Amino acid sequence: MKRSLLLIALLCTAGLLKAQTTTKDTAKSSTDSLMNTLSAPEKGEPVMATFKATRLILSQTTETVKKKELNFLVIHRFGDIGGSAGGGKTMWGLDNSSDIYIGFEYGLTDNLNIDFGRSKFEQMLELGLKYNILHQKTDESAPVAITLIGKTGFKTYHTESTMFDNYVNRFSYLAQAVIARKFSSALSLQVSPMYLMNNVPYPFVVGNEKNIFALSAAGRLKFSKRMGLVVDYVHPFSNFRNNSVDPRFYDGLGVGIEIETGGHVFTINFTNAQAISEFNYINNTQSSWSKGQFRLGFTISRIFDFNKKHKSAY
Amino acid sequence: MKYIALILLVWFSTNRAGQDIYVCKNATISIYSKAPIEDIEAKTDKGTSVFNAATGELAFSMPIRSLKFDKALMEEHFNENYMESDKYPQASFKGKLAQIPDVTKDGVYPVSATGVFEVHGVKQSRNIPGKLTVSGGTISLSAEFMVACKDHKIDIPTLVFHNIAETIKVQVNATYSPYK
Repeated sequence: MKRSLLLIALLCTAGLLKAQTTTKDTAKSSTDSLMNTLSAPEKGEPVMATFKATRLILSQTTETVKKKELNFLVIHRFGDIGGSAGGGKTMWGLDNSSDIYIGFEYGLTDNLNIDFGRSKFEQMLELGLKYNILHQKTDESAPVAITLIGKTGFKTYHTESTMFDNYVNRFSYLAQAVIARKFSSALSLQVSPMYLMNNVPYPFVVGNEKNIFALSAAGRLKFSKRMGLVVDYVHPFSNFRNNSVDPRFYDGLGVGIEIETGGHVFTINFTNAQAISEFNYINNTQSSWSKGQFRLGFTISRIFDFNKKHKSAY
Repeated sequence: MKYIALILLVWFSTNRAGQDIYVCKNATISIYSKAPIEDIEAKTDKGTSVFNAATGELAFSMPIRSLKFDKALMEEHFNENYMESDKYPQASFKGKLAQIPDVTKDGVYPVSATGVFEVHGVKQSRNIPGKLTVSGGTISLSAEFMVACKDHKIDIPTLVFHNIAETIKVQVNATYSPYK
């Protein structure tokens, strides 16, 4: 017992002598561990920038423009590079424009957009709503982002046949769900089922369906912070389109490069689809990659921010 | 018996250290830079800090994602293109005050902290001057310093229009409460 007491006394003295350093050591580790518990990452942050813009080549993405932002879109498709309509006599398609789309997308809220646009192809006007119903979360509580799109298309002039003289016959409707996942900062993929309804089948050919279910798949692989490779593909599930020989229909496929400059997003692409609007390219893509009927195209997306300019506190 | 003594000793010293530890879970941190086209400004109140008044040790941490900008697109670019916040989610400082003021007495003390400042995964040794205020037993710290983007390998590509400054002013304010 005496020895033990002596030991304790010794230890205490030693402890006192060493008190300064001991305190430091324990304090240091506790500061670190405290810091770790305090600064544990917040869970469930929404994943941002799955895609850089609201459009890829053919498809819309899950991205919406944020509240009080206006996205101004100019999308262009030149003429066929090869095939009978291409070649040197049309400067490999640069002399022609198969479609031009001018559009506006405005953020009513961060998740709800109203979209308006006009295509040269079929002189199509369209008005739609886009709602981002689910955000992918960093903690995987939501593994994907889901955006719903509904829009109405209207051909302003009657085309093709007298069948379209009645304006009611020139309406089309689209309901779409876009499901996307950002796998890494470089790779994002999306699939999108959509249902297209035409008041009258288009093109107006015997046997064509009024309503078409279509599925699109698209992805982006960034090779630098601001540039990425984009692939976009759409397949309409239509017996008529599968079996029709004249005209023959093809699935839309686009490949391109996306460049972001801060404010602008540019996409430079090649696609066989002549048209830009879903109403046109799902219904009526009659040009084929294998026949050289693909074209150069580009998308310019510019965001204008109408949020009040912040008054600096400095 | 020896062990009991040891346990007692450790317990006492931890306990003593515990009394000198102050924490802050809502430190406000703001960044600001003046640029030709538009000023860049963001703020968070999700900074955390630990201050040991006995040893002068000081630590700060901030989730990059918590910084809020007025413009959503600016916030996205900040996180995606510059800070790469999915790879480097935190900015932090770990250091020590050069001289420890007596935190039991009210007053305003100029202090300076030397330590490691980490942003964008790049560590820099920094000496950051600040101000420690004790008022009615409450300790608060504030500091203002500049961060150069190139010191932390934050690239500003030439493709981008000239609306990004190369140095960013950082302001930090933390009010502490004793850690129990």
